[in-house]
Amino acid sequence: MGLAQNVVFGLVTGSYIAIAAIGFTLIYGIVNMINFAYGEYLTIGAFVGVLSAGMLPLPLPVAALVAMAGGGIASLVLARAFFTPINDTGPVPMLLTSIGLGLALRNLIRLTGGRSARYFDTETTTYQFDGLPALAVGPVDLLGDLFVTSEQLVVVGSAVAVFVVLHAMLTRTDVGIAMRAMGDDESLARVRGIDTQFIRDSVWVLAGVLAGLAGVLIGIQTNVSSSTGFSHILQILAAAILGGAGSPYGAIAGAYVIGLVLALSTAFLPAGMTGISTAVAFFILVVVLLVKPSGIAGQEVREA
Amino acid sequence: MRDNDTERANRRTFLKFAGAGGLAATAGCIGLGGSGDGGGDGPDKIVFGQPAAQTGQWDFLQPGVSQATDAAVKHINDAGGPLDADFEVVRRDTAVKPQEARSVVTQLVENDDALALLGLFSSEINPLFDFLQEQETPVVTPWPGSNFLDTRGGDHGTPDDLSDDEWIWRTVISDTVHTAGAAKRALDQGHETVGVINGNTEGARSWADGFVTAYEEGGGTVAREVEVSQGSSSYQSALSRLFDAEFDAFAVSIPLEDAITLMGDWADGGYGRQPILSDPLAQDELPKQVGSALDGAWAASPGDAGPNYDTFESEYNSMDGDAEINGWTAPAWDATQVAALAVERAGEASREAVEKNLGPVTRGEGTEVASFEEGKEALADGDEIVYRGAATATSFTNFGNVFGSVTINEARGGSFSTLETIPAEELRQFVSEDEY
Repeated sequence: MGLAQNVVFGLVTGSYIAIAAIGFTLIYGIVNMINFAYGEYLTIGAFVGVLSAGMLPLPLPVAALVAMAGGGIASLVLARAFFTPINDTGPVPMLLTSIGLGLALRNLIRLTGGRSARYFDTETTTYQFDGLPALAVGPVDLLGDLFVTSEQLVVVGSAVAVFVVLHAMLTRTDVGIAMRAMGDDESLARVRGIDTQFIRDSVWVLAGVLAGLAGVLIGIQTNVSSSTGFSHILQILAAAILGGAGSPYGAIAGAYVIGLVLALSTAFLPAGMTGISTAVAFFILVVVLLVKPSGIAGQEVREA
Repeated sequence: MRDNDTERANRRTFLKFAGAGGLAATAGCIGLGGSGDGGGDGPDKIVFGQPAAQTGQWDFLQPGVSQATDAAVKHINDAGGPLDADFEVVRRDTAVKPQEARSVVTQLVENDDALALLGLFSSEINPLFDFLQEQETPVVTPWPGSNFLDTRGGDHGTPDDLSDDEWIWRTVISDTVHTAGAAKRALDQGHETVGVINGNTEGARSWADGFVTAYEEGGGTVAREVEVSQGSSSYQSALSRLFDAEFDAFAVSIPLEDAITLMGDWADGGYGRQPILSDPLAQDELPKQVGSALDGAWAASPGDAGPNYDTFESEYNSMDGDAEINGWTAPAWDATQVAALAVERAGEASREAVEKNLGPVTRGEGTEVASFEEGKEALADGDEIVYRGAATATSFTNFGNVFGSVTINEARGGSFSTLETIPAEELRQFVSEDEY
């Protein structure tokens, strides 16, 4: 136990925050808006996942894919309905719209999905495909006394997979390169013949897919309720800003800083102060921004 | 022309109806009807208000409370009603939000002429305490367990002197009592040292504080306390901090959804040791989600061991509804019965009269009664009465509290079952009479 074990816990927390923060920061960097409704995209994905796994029922990996698709579709439809029409009105109307949309979505989900929490069945059956061995269930021993649970391994593994795929997409595909070009200078990108509306739509879909996955990963560790996304939006926002708003690589770094701070502050703060770990994370955010206002990776990515 | 005539006629008709409506509406204010507030001439109707959790975080508990209240209303009307008047409970939704509750209380008192209020949670009463005092309307509520109310309520043992009254009465036992039950059982089981982990809301803290106080007064030692933010995706860090200390058992006070995550992390981490759960966690969903690792965990809950539980249960089951009985259902029956008996004993329908008679119908000497029907008969015979309730004996202390037994429920095989009941008298040593 102690420091090393809490670092493991922090890495797990950082992993799902990172997945969500990448989507959040892509919207900021390319569509140029802070989307406060983004937390509800996590909730939508989580609900699609838990309903797919519980009612159909689908194996958890398939349910996660359905959730990602659900998140992507929801993100695109909502963007087309609410954000695209006011795209030229500036950041403040977009921000206010996103706050209103978030409130409306949260209450709509509460009305239709109910108030009770829902749970993924994380027993062997939901991890298992017919004919394939089941994933490990229960704690997995690491070095010495260190352990990680099978759900946590799924979270970390999913995050690593997302990072690899995202990097490949941003550096090797036309869409990814166009996204980076738009993030740097939209006017120039348009002059170079990039279909900016298509790229915007692609960003919305990608962000929604990542939100759906993050929602499922949070759901398999805890539960799914109408407040799932809302209760994580501050951590996601902090990770994105800490990493350098608009930078997906920075968001990953920021998420792990936030995850480690949350875990370590909970473990080592004096008794009676352990409930303020989120506040500690924000304190670290302020300190880092005082030293490096562009965030951890903001400058480097803009120069890339 | 015809159009104008029609318009004029319509306007005249409208004014006629508006005038009649206005007269009817003001009739209540000038004493032409309604329950009134100070009349002794036998009102036609007596109204109580029920601030309710029809929506919001606790709405799943309201159906049982509503059904118990409706059963009590039916029973009281079948027995002739208080002061032979039609008895009615007006229910309005607060969503368990203080601002909503404030508005609902104002409506019930000002517009509905409620003589007493049969609701409000701790999270509504505590922040609205001064406001409720200003209303000078008795609140007889089945909900709040908060130890904030341990010394804030009742008539201070002087029923005829309203100047020292605090207008809050509760028919459910305080956290102080059932945490004493938890502490007593922990000590009886030989757990001399415990750890405590709790959430950061008032309810979660209240349980933890009550448990720690009773446990330490009983001679136990608290090795470590850890407070966590509710809504977290992982409690592993908090658990590793807690379990770095040496102790025999650990107490958990956090809402159910977070407890499922927390105890799941505890099971995954293989931390072991005896879990002691707060009373809201004695729900089958917890062992169902956590699994067999939770076998042997137990919770001390308010017992449904009032002397007249059977009377309540048969009336409750005779209703059309199918709401499940929960820990606040029988106290809701008691709240309605005792407030109606206070009106009957007072002989007049006023808030002050209800307040003055809530203590006298539940304590002291008199004919013991199980329901409004028996009470009305005894009062008609000129007897004093002592109401004996369904959830507890409902003998109000000077601070408007009740004392009752505590049930120990143990998780095993995916559900909770009753293991034992700790009688109320065995818990008295943990709760000072001048502090409850």
